[in-house]
Amino acid sequence: MRLATRKNIITAAVAVFALAVLAVELYPIAITLLNGFRRDIVILSGQKLSLKQFTGASYALVFQNSQLMRAMRNSVIVGLLSTALSVGVGAMAAYGLTRFRFRGKNALAYSFLVFRMLPQMSLVVSLYLMFRSVGIRDTIFGITLAHSSFNVPYVIWMLIPFFTVVDKSYEEAAMVDGCSRWGMFRLIFLPLAAPGLVVAAVFAFINSWNEFLYALILTGVNARTAPVAISSLIGGDTLTWGQMCAASTIMLIPVFVFTIGMQKFLIRGVAAGGVKG
Amino acid sequence: MTFSRRRGTSPSGNVASRNGTGGYGSPVPFLIPAFLIVFAVLIFPIVFSFVVSLFDWPLSAGGGARRFVGPGNYVELVRDREFWNSLRLQLGFIFIAIPIEIALGLGAALLLNREFRGGRVVRALILLPVFFLPIVSGMTWRFMLQPRYGALNNFLLSLGAPEITWLGHPTFAYTAVIVQDVWRMWPFVFMLLYAGLVGIPADILEAAEIDGATSAKRLTKIILPLLYPTILTAVLLRIIDALRIFSEVYVMTEGGPGMATTLFSLYTHRQAFGYMKVGMSSAMAIFLLVISILFAITLVRKNMSLEKLEEQGENR
Repeated sequence: MRLATRKNIITAAVAVFALAVLAVELYPIAITLLNGFRRDIVILSGQKLSLKQFTGASYALVFQNSQLMRAMRNSVIVGLLSTALSVGVGAMAAYGLTRFRFRGKNALAYSFLVFRMLPQMSLVVSLYLMFRSVGIRDTIFGITLAHSSFNVPYVIWMLIPFFTVVDKSYEEAAMVDGCSRWGMFRLIFLPLAAPGLVVAAVFAFINSWNEFLYALILTGVNARTAPVAISSLIGGDTLTWGQMCAASTIMLIPVFVFTIGMQKFLIRGVAAGGVKG
Repeated sequence: MTFSRRRGTSPSGNVASRNGTGGYGSPVPFLIPAFLIVFAVLIFPIVFSFVVSLFDWPLSAGGGARRFVGPGNYVELVRDREFWNSLRLQLGFIFIAIPIEIALGLGAALLLNREFRGGRVVRALILLPVFFLPIVSGMTWRFMLQPRYGALNNFLLSLGAPEITWLGHPTFAYTAVIVQDVWRMWPFVFMLLYAGLVGIPADILEAAEIDGATSAKRLTKIILPLLYPTILTAVLLRIIDALRIFSEVYVMTEGGPGMATTLFSLYTHRQAFGYMKVGMSSAMAIFLLVISILFAITLVRKNMSLEKLEEQGENR
C-alpha cells in the first residue's frame, strides 16, 4: 500500500513536471499562432493579449501580398517537383543498391548516406557561380535541382529498408516468368514499397518546404520561395509581425499535419536532419 | 544460380546479394539517374568549390579579375582573426548547446518513460518545436527578445527591471542563439533516447529489481550502457546538424551585434556575399566540408551501415 502511494506521488510529480516542460516548449509556438490574429499596432505596443484584439486582418494582408503569395506558390511547385524527382530517381537507386550484387555497392551506398549530411553552406557558393553561368539562377528549375541535392540521397536512405524487406520469392518467380528487371521494379517493388514511397515523399516535401539557404542565395524575385519571402517581412523599418506570424502559420500547417500523421516514422524521418532547413 | 523458393531470409538480410536474383540484370540503369543528379549538384560543386578556393576570385557580374593564388586563401584564413572568432563561436555553440540538449533529452526520456494519463499526448506535443520551421523559430525568438514589446522584457519590466536590448548585447545575443537551439532541438534528442529506452527489454530491469539493485544502480549499470549507442548516435547527429547551423541565426541576429553571433556558416556567407571574396568563402566551405565528412563517416560507419538499414527493414 505504501509503495503504491509512493508510486502515485512520483507519477503525479512527473505529470506536473511534464506540463511545465510543455508550457515552455509550446509558448513560442503559441505566440506565433496567436500573433497572426492580432494587428501589428497591437503587437508593437506590447499590449496584453485579449480576445477583443482578434482579427483576420493580417491573414487578409498576407493573401493580398502578391509577392508573398507568389513565393508560397513557388514553394508548393518546387516542393512537389523536387519530391517527384527525388522519389522517382531515389526509388530506382534504392532498388539498384538493395537488389543487385555488384562490386563497390557498399561504398556507393555509404557515399549517398554521407552526401545526405553535407552542410549546404559548403555547396551554395559554387552552386551560385555554376547556376549563374548556366543561366538557371532564380529559376524554378534551378532551385528544384538544388533541393534535389539533399532530397535524392535522403530518399535513397529512407527507402533502402523498405526495399530490403520485399520477399525474394516474388522476384524469383518473376524471373522464371521472364520478367525484366525494370518490370520487377515497376510491378513488384513499387507497389510493395508504396508506404515507404509515401513516407519518403512527405519528408522530402518538408525538406524542400523548410529550406532557406539555397533559396536565399540561388533565387531572386522570380523563383523566391516562402521562407525567404517571410524572413523579408521583418528587418530594417518593416516590422510586420502580424503578417509574418500569419504567413508562418500557413507554412506550419502542412508540416504539423504531416508530422502528426506520421508519428510512426518520425524517428527515421528526422534522424540525419530530416527537417532541417 | 539457385532457383529455390526457400522463404525466410538470412540473419543479416540482403538476400539478393547472397543468392537468388542478385546477379540477374544490370544495376547500372537504376543507379544512373541518381548518380547524374548527385554529380551535378554535389560532386561537381565540391570539386569546383575546391578549384575556386585556390583563386583570388571576386564576386562581380562580369567575372572580375581572377588570380591563381594556390593555398593563398587558406594562409589568409589562418591569419584572419574573424575566421578564428567564427570557429571559436561555432565550437562554443557545439560544446555548450549539445551537452545541454543531451542532458535535457535524457532526463526527460527517463522521467517520461512511464505510464501516466495523457502521457502519449505530452510526448507527442513536446516534439512540436522540432518541426517548427527554423526561420520561424529564429524570428519568433527575435520577437520574444525585442526590448520594447518582447515577452521577456514585458515580464522583466513588470518586475521593475531596466529595459535590456537582448540581441544588441554580444554575450546575451550569443546566449540567445544557444537557447533558441536548445529549445528547438532537445526534444529531438528526447525522441531518439525515448525510443531507445522503450527498446530496453523490461525483464532485464525487473530481474535487476528483484536482485535488489537500487534505481541508481539500474540507471548506471543497465540503462545507460544499453542506451549508449543511441546517445552516441544522437550526439553525432546533433554535431553534424550544429556544424551547418545558418538560417535560424541569420534571421535572428544576422550574425550581430558586430561579429558576436557570426558562426562558421554565417562568416562563410559573409565572405562571399558581404566581402565579395568567393575564393576565401570557398576555402572556408572546403574546411567545413572536410570536418562534416569526417563526422558523417563516423556516424555512417557506426550506425547506418547497409546491414543496419536492412535490419531495420526486417524488424519493422
